[in-house]
Amino acid sequence: MKTSILTLTLSIFLCVAARAELKWEQNVIDLHPALGDKTAVAHFKYQNTGTTPVHFKSVRASCGCTTTQSQKEVVNPGEKGEIVATFNIGDRTGQQMKTVSVQTDDPNPSQANIVLTLKATIPQALEVKPAVLYWQSGEEPKPKKISVKASKDFPGKNITVKSNSLNFESKVEPGSGSGEWTIEVMPKDTTHPMGSALVVQSDYPKEGPKSFSVTVQITNPPGAPAAPVAIPSASPAGGVKH
Amino acid sequence: MKFRAVREGLLLVALACLPAVGEGVYFRDKISWQSPIPASELVTVDQARSWGDGAIWVDARPDEEFAREHVPGAVSLNEDHWNELLPQFLPNWSPGKKVVVYCSAESCNAARDVAKRLRDEAQLTDVFVLQGGWEEWLKKKK
Repeated sequence: MKTSILTLTLSIFLCVAARAELKWEQNVIDLHPALGDKTAVAHFKYQNTGTTPVHFKSVRASCGCTTTQSQKEVVNPGEKGEIVATFNIGDRTGQQMKTVSVQTDDPNPSQANIVLTLKATIPQALEVKPAVLYWQSGEEPKPKKISVKASKDFPGKNITVKSNSLNFESKVEPGSGSGEWTIEVMPKDTTHPMGSALVVQSDYPKEGPKSFSVTVQITNPPGAPAAPVAIPSASPAGGVKH
Repeated sequence: MKFRAVREGLLLVALACLPAVGEGVYFRDKISWQSPIPASELVTVDQARSWGDGAIWVDARPDEEFAREHVPGAVSLNEDHWNELLPQFLPNWSPGKKVVVYCSAESCNAARDVAKRLRDEAQLTDVFVLQGGWEEWLKKKK
C-alpha cells in the first residue's frame, strides 16, 4: 500500500516537474507602419521556461498576406527565440488584424495551441470617395461630387484631375479643411452609355506621385441588357501609379 | 442541509461548464476575433447562382489563387492590388447589379474586407459575402 502511494506521488511529481512551457513576451503586437511602408513586421518573442524541449508542429498565418518565419524547430529548456510575422500591406488601409496559429507538442492543450495577433494601423495617403460616379442614360447631366481627403501625415499640398474623355468635365475646389478637396464632375451628354476614368493625382512624391482612379460612367438604362460600359484605361499602367 | 444543496448546485454548474471550457481550448485557433458578418450581408451559393446575370462575382483571394481557378466570369479584386484592380472591376458594375464577393473559405476575412471597401469607398449597395466562400462553391459544383 505504502509503495503504491509512493509511486503515485512520484509519478505526479515527475509529471509536474517534467513540463514544457513556452512563455510568450506578447501575444498581441500593435504596429503603426509609416505612410508608404510595404510591410509591417512583428517579432513574437518566447522562452522555454519548462524543463523539457518544445517542438513546433506548425506555424500558420491566417491569410496569404502574412508570412511567418520560425528560427528553430526545437526549443530547449531555457532557450529563447522568436517568430517573425511579416504582413504585406499591399493596398490595405485602416485597422488590420492578422493572426498566426502556433502548434507545439506541449502536453498542456492551452499551451500547445497559441494564437498570436498582429494588429496594424495603416495610414491612407488620400481618401477618395466615392470611387465611382454614375448617371443613368437619359438622366439630367447634373454635376456630382467626389471628396478627397489627405491623411495628416501626407505632405502633398495639391491635387490635379485628368480625364481621358471629353464628355466629362471636372473641377477641383478646396474643401472645408486643409488637405481636403472637392471634385465636381459633370457629363456633357447622358444619352449614350459610356465611361471614363478620372485620375486624381497628388503633388507628392515629386517622382511618381500618388494617384487614384475614379470611374465615371453613363450606365445602361434600367432593364437594358447588362453589357459592361467600356472605359478606356486612365494611364499606360492601367490606372494607378505608386 | 442548505449548505449541501448549494455545494451540489455549484458542482453541477462547474460540471456543465467543463465541455464549454474544453471546446474553448480545443477551438482556440479557430475563434474569429472579428464580429460576425450580419446575415443580411451574406448570400448562399444557391441564392447567388439564382441571380444569374444580375450578379457580378468578385474573387477576393490573392492573384495566384485566382489565376489557378475561379468562379466562371468572376473578376479579381483583392486588397493586395486594390488601387489597380478596382478601376478594372467598376466598368462591369451598373446600378441594380448585385455583387457577390468570395474568398477561400468560411474562416477567411478577405471577402468581408473587400465587401466593406466596396460599400464604403465605391459606395455600392447590394454587396454580399458568399457563405462558405470558394470551398462551398466547389462543393456545390459537384
